[in-house]
Amino acid sequence: MRRSPQTLTFLVLAGMLFALAACAQLKALPNLPATHPEALATGPVSCSECHEDQQKGTMKAFAAFNHSAAFIANHRFYASSDDTLCASCHKVSFCADCHTNQTEMKPSVKNGNRPDRAMPHRGDFLTLHKIEGKLDPASCNRCHGRANNERCIVCHR
Amino acid sequence: MKKAFCRLLPALFLVALPSAALAEVSVDSTTVLRAFQESRPGFEKSTFLPATQFLGVEATKLGGGNLSAHLYGWGRADLADKSFNDDQLNGSLTYGYLQYRFNAANAQARAGRFFVHEGIINEQVDGVSARTDLPYGFGVSAFGGATVHTAHLLDEKSDGKGDGIFGGRANYRYGGLLELGLSGVYETKAPVLSDPALAGRFGDRRLIGADLWFSPYRMVQLMGHTSYNTETRGVAENSFLLQLKPLKDLVLSGEYNEYHDRDLFYSSVLFAGMPSMLSGNNLNQQSRNFGGKASYTVNQKVEISGDAKHYTREIGKADRFGGELRCNLADAQLRTGLGYHYLRASSDFAIVPSSTASGSFHEMRVYAMRDTKSYQVSLDVIDYLFKKEVTGKDSALEVLGSLGFHFSPDLTLSGDLSYGSNPQNIDELKGLVRLTYSTTIAGKGDPK
Repeated sequence: MRRSPQTLTFLVLAGMLFALAACAQLKALPNLPATHPEALATGPVSCSECHEDQQKGTMKAFAAFNHSAAFIANHRFYASSDDTLCASCHKVSFCADCHTNQTEMKPSVKNGNRPDRAMPHRGDFLTLHKIEGKLDPASCNRCHGRANNERCIVCHR
Repeated sequence: MKKAFCRLLPALFLVALPSAALAEVSVDSTTVLRAFQESRPGFEKSTFLPATQFLGVEATKLGGGNLSAHLYGWGRADLADKSFNDDQLNGSLTYGYLQYRFNAANAQARAGRFFVHEGIINEQVDGVSARTDLPYGFGVSAFGGATVHTAHLLDEKSDGKGDGIFGGRANYRYGGLLELGLSGVYETKAPVLSDPALAGRFGDRRLIGADLWFSPYRMVQLMGHTSYNTETRGVAENSFLLQLKPLKDLVLSGEYNEYHDRDLFYSSVLFAGMPSMLSGNNLNQQSRNFGGKASYTVNQKVEISGDAKHYTREIGKADRFGGELRCNLADAQLRTGLGYHYLRASSDFAIVPSSTASGSFHEMRVYAMRDTKSYQVSLDVIDYLFKKEVTGKDSALEVLGSLGFHFSPDLTLSGDLSYGSNPQNIDELKGLVRLTYSTTIAGKGDPK
């Protein structure tokens, strides 16, 4: 279906007007703080200890982000849509302790003085991975899928 | 494009330098010196002494307050035998980017090397990205640039990645009740690899997907995502998590994951090329697992959790169950924990499958650490007990002790000593010295 030049002009103008109106509205939308305004206690935190559950605008309830064992085990579901909120408290290097492209050493070796932190591949994982890899290769693929870690490609050619 | 970017990135940081003097700068430095020996049948005995420097720098409040620079990477020098590849020196820039945060709508733009975690997208990119919330609950993000290449595959002149990549995510949020997201990633044509066995199993990285977060009541959350491989025309992954919070300190969660190996591993040479345990290829091999976890927190000091998971693959089935106890005592100066898990797996999952082999093992772990203003000390013991011996060993034990001194709140010198006895090595003794320097920034959580 061909549209007349007048219709196209109208559509473009309407689109620009909508974009301008949207931009004007953007200024009214709330911003998360770049950093958490107060020092946090060491160890896993419960956001709901201080924050009220009902949030402004479209924010999710802070209680959803309490760092329980279940949250830590399933944090990928939260990080994929709320990494801006994660960044309020965590430096990116905190994530990069485990999630990185070129791995120099096991995270649990670099942080061997922090047994309290959840870290993958503790102990003799060199032996274990031959079982775990068959059991759930998708979980390996998330981090190692395209990294071609030099230790991996020695055997996995 | 890559060369241009490599020149552009340092230039971007140079531009930011004049205002860096006025910025808040945080430095995280960890220097690790390891020492270990390897003696394997058929190989000469080797002594390794790799020194690795991890360095992270963050400069915020640059140029009027909205600009920040983020840098993290590592470099290694082998002081004795070469440790991992042909190079005595090695290093990697994990990320290095400039970020501009706008004053509203969580809008931000990045330029440099960064990670993208949006919906089904998990990528490391040399390029630019931008995101913003939009009116009426909508949001949008986009990125584009060059892929970050890694080590070449053996007998290939490539790492299996295309050179360019772009993608993005659009989402809609309704109050604190619902979020729906659509995301996709498109990588330029993957290189042709010489291995004929990869034909039909390896190709371009092009995925689209959807994600969901739904919380009809405060105590209920349903999350999940589905990804679809447009090259293989098949669903790669379905993952869902249901979380219930019937009591303030009790969390119950259930998860369901389904994977289609060919569709999921299609752009990963390493995984696409792995032979299946069944038929010599992994085409259309499916995996499913589902499980649950319950965790209960007592007085914010003690957390007890239990979990169970069932795995189904074409080669067999397996179950894992167990529990953990974690304690944060004396204002978190004393942290302890213990855990037990058992994997019940058929002989098909054994390291060398046979009618007499088993993939089952017990996992036991206990740890304790004390971290005061002046010192830190920790002990971590982890032991795997195999149901059937693995190369003549019925267990894999590792004991790791660490002792460190805080010279100041920012500077810590620590040393680790670990002993292991496992199927790889009869005895394994490793030493490590670690010097950590970290500026304390009150606004950033968990600087330690």
